[in-house]
Formats: sequence, C-alpha cells, structure tokens
Amino acid sequence: MYYMGIDVGSVSTNVVLLDGCLEVIEEIYLQSKGSPIKSICEGLEKLKGKYDSKQISGVGTTGSGRNIAAAVTGADIIKNEITTHSIAASYMDAEVQTILEIGGQDSKVILLRNGVISDFAMNTVCAAGTGSFLDRQAERLGIAIGELGNMALKSKVPVRIAGRCAVFAETDIIHKQQLGYEKEDLIAGLCYALVRNYLSNLCKGKEIKDKVFFQGGVAANQGIKKAFEDILDKEIIVPEHFKVMGAIGAAILSKEALENERKKTMFKGFNILKGKISTDSFECQDCPNHCEVIRIYSNNTMIGCFSDRCGKYQISDAKSKI
Amino acid sequence: MFFFLYIIGLVGIKSISTVLNAENVRIKEAVSIKIGIPGGLLYHRYATFINTFINELDIECIFSIETNREILDMGVNSCVNEACLPMKIFHGHAVFLKNQCDLLWIPRIMKCKNSESICPKFCGLPEMVMSGTKRKEGVIDYPLYMDRKREVRHYLKKLSENLGCNENKALRAFKKAVISYGQAEKGIWDKEYPFIIFLAGHPYNIYDKFANMNLIDKLHSYGIGVITEEQVFDNNKEEEIKHLMKRPYWLFYKNNYGAGKYLVRNQKINGIVYISSFSCGIDSITIEMLKNDIGDFPFLILKIDEHTGEAGMNTRIEAFADMLERRRIH
Repeated sequence: MYYMGIDVGSVSTNVVLLDGCLEVIEEIYLQSKGSPIKSICEGLEKLKGKYDSKQISGVGTTGSGRNIAAAVTGADIIKNEITTHSIAASYMDAEVQTILEIGGQDSKVILLRNGVISDFAMNTVCAAGTGSFLDRQAERLGIAIGELGNMALKSKVPVRIAGRCAVFAETDIIHKQQLGYEKEDLIAGLCYALVRNYLSNLCKGKEIKDKVFFQGGVAANQGIKKAFEDILDKEIIVPEHFKVMGAIGAAILSKEALENERKKTMFKGFNILKGKISTDSFECQDCPNHCEVIRIYSNNTMIGCFSDRCGKYQISDAKSKI
Repeated sequence: MFFFLYIIGLVGIKSISTVLNAENVRIKEAVSIKIGIPGGLLYHRYATFINTFINELDIECIFSIETNREILDMGVNSCVNEACLPMKIFHGHAVFLKNQCDLLWIPRIMKCKNSESICPKFCGLPEMVMSGTKRKEGVIDYPLYMDRKREVRHYLKKLSENLGCNENKALRAFKKAVISYGQAEKGIWDKEYPFIIFLAGHPYNIYDKFANMNLIDKLHSYGIGVITEEQVFDNNKEEEIKHLMKRPYWLFYKNNYGAGKYLVRNQKINGIVYISSFSCGIDSITIEMLKNDIGDFPFLILKIDEHTGEAGMNTRIEAFADMLERRRIH
C-alpha cells in the first residue's frame, strides 16, 4: 500500500512514494526543463520497475502544474502548494510554527499555529529572490548551482549587494566584481541580499516563531540558511526531505481524502507510460479573449484541457474546481 | 465618472467631416453627434448615473464592450509602460471607440468627494489618452469636480451643449440620473455562503471580470461570499480613521482602510482579500497600514498586472480558502 505525491513546479518535478505509515520510501527530484509531462513520465518510469500499479493506493498532485499532473496520472486530490507544504511540515514535526519556502519561481512564508495555517504570504509578480534568480547568478559567476552554498560559507566579509530587484542585483554584482572582490564574498553577499529581500517582502509584520523550517529547492544552499540564521537570530531547520515536501504533503492528503470518503484511487496505473501522451495548443477565436487553450491527449483521447476562460473545452468530469 | 468624448463632428453631407474642438464646439445644423463612453476605470462605479444621463439626453451614443483580451492588448500598446493595469485597460477602451464616435468622453476627475483626493493619473487622463491613442481632437477633456453637485451640473450642462442638447433637457437628465444613481444597489453583500470576506480594492479592479480573472466567481466556487466597501456606511469608515496621526486624504484609502477595519473590529467577516494592481501607490500604503492594524487576521493580497496566466491567482485563492476552512475546524 503506497501513496504517491507529485509536485510539478516551475523548475523541478518531484515524485515521492509513501508507505502506509507515511514514511518516505522513494524520493525522485527531476528538472522540469519546461516540459512537465515529460518529467512526470520520467518520474513514473523510475517507479514502474519496482512497483505494481495495484500497489498504489492513492495519488495527490500539487505545484503550479498540478492540474496537468492530475490529468495525466488520474489523481485523487489536487492541492495548492501552500497547503501541501504545511501539511508535510506539521506531519514531520508538530511543533513547527513557521515555514520558509523558496522554490524556483515563488517564495512563500507560512505561519502555523497548532498545526493550522494562520497566515501566509507569497511573492507577488516579481521573482527576485527565488531559485531561478540564484541559478542565473551562479551561471554568470561560472559556478555550479550546487557549489554556491559552500562557497558562501567560506566568505569572511560578505559584500553588500542590492537585493530589491534581480536586475539591479546583477548590475551591483558586476560593479563589485570589477572592483576586485572575491567570488566567495560576492556570493555570500548575494545570499544575504536574497534573504533581506525575502524578509522585507514577505515577513513584514509577521511573527517568526520557533520552530522554523526551511524547505524548497533553495534550502539546499547552506549560504542562504546561514544568512537566515544570522538575520533572524533563530535556529533554522532544514528537514530531511526539504526538496520534496510539497509532494509529501500531496501524498498525505490523498490518503486522508480517500480514507475519509472511503473511495478507491483513480490512479490510471503505470500503463499510461505505454501509450503516447501528447499536447496541442491553439488560440480560440470564438471571442475576443483569444484564450491560448492547451489540450492533453493520451492515445488520441483528450484527458485534460487548460487555460480556457469560459471552460467550454473542459471535459465534464474534470476534478479541478476552477 | 468618466467622460471621454471625442468630437468629430460629421456635419451636413456625410463626406464632409469637420473636427470640432472640445472646448469650442459649434453645431451648425441639427446633426446628431455620437458620443463614445469608455467602460473603464470609474465607469464601473458610476455606470447607472452615466447610462441614465445619456439615455435621457436621447442622443447617439456608443459604449465600449466589456474588457477582453483585445481591449487589453490595445491598451498596452497605446499606454505608457509604467501605468497600472486599469489605466492600460481604459486606454484600450478608448482605442476601441476612437473611430466609432464623434466625441470621446474622457473624464478629468479632479475630486470625488469633499476634501478627498484621487489618484493623480485621473487628473491627467485626457492628456495620457490623447497622446497614447494619437487622437488630439474630439475629446471632452474639461475638469470634473464631483465633490459639489453644482460643479457636476455645470459640467454636464457644458457637455450637453457640446452634444447639441438644450439646457432644460440636460437639467432633466441630470435630475433623473441623480435619482437612479441614488436608488441603485451599490456594492456586493453576499449572504448565502459559509464564509464571507471583505473584498477590498479599487472598484475597477473589483468589478472588471477580465482584469481580476473572475475573482468573485472563483471565491464563490470555494464557498466564500463577498462584501465590498460600498456596503459600509461612511460614518463607520470615518470613525475608523479618526485615530490616525493625520487625516488621510485619499478617497480609496479611506474606503478600503476604514471599511476593512470596521468589518474586522465588528467581527463581520472571516478574512480580507485585497485585489490591487501592480505599482499602485495608494494601495501600497493602504495594504500595509490595514495589515498592521488588524493583527492576526486572514489577509490575502492579490496583485494583478498584464499577465493572463491564472495559475498564480488560483493557487493563492485555493490556499486562502483552505486556510479559512481549517481555521474554522480547529
């Protein structure tokens, strides 16, 4: 009896498998590379050999691509990433009161009181201070993204860098680079800038209480963790499965939902990988909104449809509310 | 109220068209002049008034359609890049109308209420639109002070003259418009939902379904009803801003801050959703002050801009609905 959680984010696609006691037994972290369906299939492919379709008792999807993932796999529950992250964190440790989460395109802070979300904030239209921003800067400095954190820890004097906007930060880094600052100090400065920006954007007026969890892909970066600890003057805990917390939360929710409603899973089985999954998109000309409609097909049968404002292309049994 | 008027007087024989200057329109013959009314910005609030007035004048008139992608695209292409989304949408409506009417009504709103100010972009709206849409003439661009009835009457009299209507007719239309506006239901107060939230923001963000991606319907689908600022009495709002160090002079500030705080303090709502256009200066202050003053209370900020992807907004609304639900259970 296993529960599967799939988190399709802007940068990574994560698949986890939990056993009946909700212990993580499989954890797959893949780059989305702009093609979520391909990476979902890649994730399922890795599980296919080891597990039988019948062993999967529930599937939950989350992340910005949760509806696509649900259409492809036949999910039992589709949940936003804020809820799933907080479910996973409070399951891991009931005393968590603050979750700092930084992903590829968004960053969020979630406040939990007695295991219930009491407040949350998410970055607005700007993606400054998220994973993709770090990615870009690492690339510019010619460093692998995985190295960034360790290099930052070596710094003795972090350079002050403007973190308000990714474009300004980059200009600032170039200036300081030309002045001859060490790479380590620049990177450490970048980590502090990102954390300052995160705190002033999202955490203003919010009470950061212990325990503080730091999760999402960026939590791999030790430099950021240290910057949080220095600025907040609190212990920051990076949970073991920090990269896939969203997927874990989705899996937990699928178990909860199925048990509450005493239903069987709608998982389509690993056989979906045998068929051909394809997409097509077109601009609907029926009204001046010109929605860019996307349709997903499995063996030429439509299994999902997105981005039509009026909903006329939706298949009737779509589980997504909106 | 927004009045955009473009005057292109098509006088006499159809092929001869004379461009009339808004400040000095002379009607030589009894020819009907077609007025174009853009359905953007505060049209959303004063639609009843404007529609009744125009109807009563019994003149040719064209309204722009509901905002859609084409209108937005036209607006983005004709408006300065730094402006906020509702300004761009207004430009789109103006472009939509500009070749279909003789007079384009662009209200230069200076004031909505006594001693309260409005966003300065409203005061320079005609210039912005004229420069963006490349229509320098045939625009009704005189200033409109809505804080005094006399000023509004004067404005509308002048407008009617430009439209070739006599003074008596204009007065009658004005009176009827005042009555129908007074009788019209303003704002929203949903009563049959498990949750109710205060939907804060500028009227043109709240009521423009395209700009806010059908926000109200989305909230309803999660069992969340909506109350808007119009449903809170002015004196209740005034009461809430009395303690502030200085009297705020922004109309939208008072409406949103005052109503929000009143509703929270009197436990009339489960949460606040603030819909705000990216780069809005007034909202940047209102949101922070309201957030600071209500303490631990569910508050969701939704920023809207030109992007049409709905995923980000859906995620936030869904998470907010989950939060309300789980807070209630525990």
